[in-house]
Amino acid sequence: MATSKLKTDRPTYASDFIASDVERAVFLGNPILDNMMTSLIALGAEVWSNRRRMKVVEALLAEKGVTAEMIETYMPTAEQDAEWQKDRDRFIDLTYSPLLREGDLPVSAAFTRENK
Amino acid sequence: MIDRRTLFGATAAVGSFVGGLFGSKSASASAAPMEMFKGDVEPRGTNQRLERLPKLDLESYDNFLTGLRIWSGSASSKTSRSRFNKAITDAGLDPRKDLPLEKIFPLVENDTYIGTAARLRTSGQQLMWSALQKHFHENADAYLDEMEATDTIGPGKLELNPDMEIPSYTKHEIHIQPGGYVGDAFAGHIYHYGTNNFYRAENYQDEIHRNISSQMPTPKDGKVLRILDMGCGSGQLTAALKERFPDAEVWGIDIGGPMVRYSHMRCIDLGVGANFRQALAEDTKFDDGYFDIVTSYIMHHEVPAHKSKEIIDEAFRVLRPGGVYFPLDFETGAGRGRGKNAYSRFSSWRDHRWNEEVWRLEYGSVDFNGEMRKTGFEVVDEGPPGWRSRYNVLGTKPV
Repeated sequence: MATSKLKTDRPTYASDFIASDVERAVFLGNPILDNMMTSLIALGAEVWSNRRRMKVVEALLAEKGVTAEMIETYMPTAEQDAEWQKDRDRFIDLTYSPLLREGDLPVSAAFTRENK
Repeated sequence: MIDRRTLFGATAAVGSFVGGLFGSKSASASAAPMEMFKGDVEPRGTNQRLERLPKLDLESYDNFLTGLRIWSGSASSKTSRSRFNKAITDAGLDPRKDLPLEKIFPLVENDTYIGTAARLRTSGQQLMWSALQKHFHENADAYLDEMEATDTIGPGKLELNPDMEIPSYTKHEIHIQPGGYVGDAFAGHIYHYGTNNFYRAENYQDEIHRNISSQMPTPKDGKVLRILDMGCGSGQLTAALKERFPDAEVWGIDIGGPMVRYSHMRCIDLGVGANFRQALAEDTKFDDGYFDIVTSYIMHHEVPAHKSKEIIDEAFRVLRPGGVYFPLDFETGAGRGRGKNAYSRFSSWRDHRWNEEVWRLEYGSVDFNGEMRKTGFEVVDEGPPGWRSRYNVLGTKPV
């Protein structure tokens, strides 16, 4: 049986559960291919999130007179630069850590769990 | 009935924090954050009935994955089916016929296009669940505070049973949702926003649940004092039933404590006085003959076949004579008994195996309407329209 990743002393009314083994699925014959596709999807989600946020920002900025040239020529402060790098590293970890998943079960594999 | 959120939320001015930054009143028309009860967490306000996901990035991430699911559901599925049928045909078999899986697997298992379609769907779903769970876990105290703020207030009652034994058949990670329905403190939150993705952005305002509620049949004598929604999940149908029958005592039950907790909190947020109990559908603890209507929505395919039969028996027990049973699921409407072709056989198996629909194949083997008859219901096979079906089975407890 598995338990929640959330560690808290507070009542949650959650119980233990039977974990799936979907993390081991290989649909593309080679787990690296499956993993690369997952990374690609994650990357797409990140790119879109960014683009959507920019749409919001640009719409609001346009109302306040912030021009495209001002955006193009902006120089971040040292503090901003450090913070942006930290976020970049989070993005890389999130997007590329699926490449390290070790799947080994083909599509036709029977269940591996103990209880059904 | 106009719920409180629609009345106050739809025309509210820009959120105070956005207005504070830009001093503008001409920003997005979405509802300002409103504290519907003390401790209500909705930093980005609502879109009518739906609390917006609390971070713009999370909403956008989910928005992308919803778009991907919509796209892959048509584009890559089409390729997958085409490749599948070609592989079957090339092997001298008829893809229009049902075929045993052991014949199918060797022909299609290594097709990378079929695999791509599966991977797009599965990974998209996993990333969606993971992003939602991560957010709720990272902000656990605020969300636990929010639920604790409503656990003991109304309208509507919440009955949790922390000491009840949770049967192992309920503990699977159905739909590969992390923790499943019982194993995560925020199962209700995660399920609600996750299934918005499944519904392809067509249920943000509970449209499907409200449509089901509007079509819910009533007993011939017209008396509707009490309604039971079995396996209520995030309480969307329960809320819609209470909104349609405001004078009725409406109950939603689910085995997941976090599910009924979320359902109760959301109903308070909506100003809807439905009641919720953590209970098994086969053992509701309600009195004999208590309800006028018993329903369920996409619950039976999530339980073992023998439990399905017990649940039908329990529905019969808790209905009063003349009361109606209207269970909605894949095999209760026009889809029942529809023959399989090779691709649907393969897809059903893949859904069962890799989408953790553990009981789905067993469910397909149950003569559902026959079991209702055996229990004692007067059964109309082609009853009123139901969920995505021109008719649904309807049972009436004899008078």
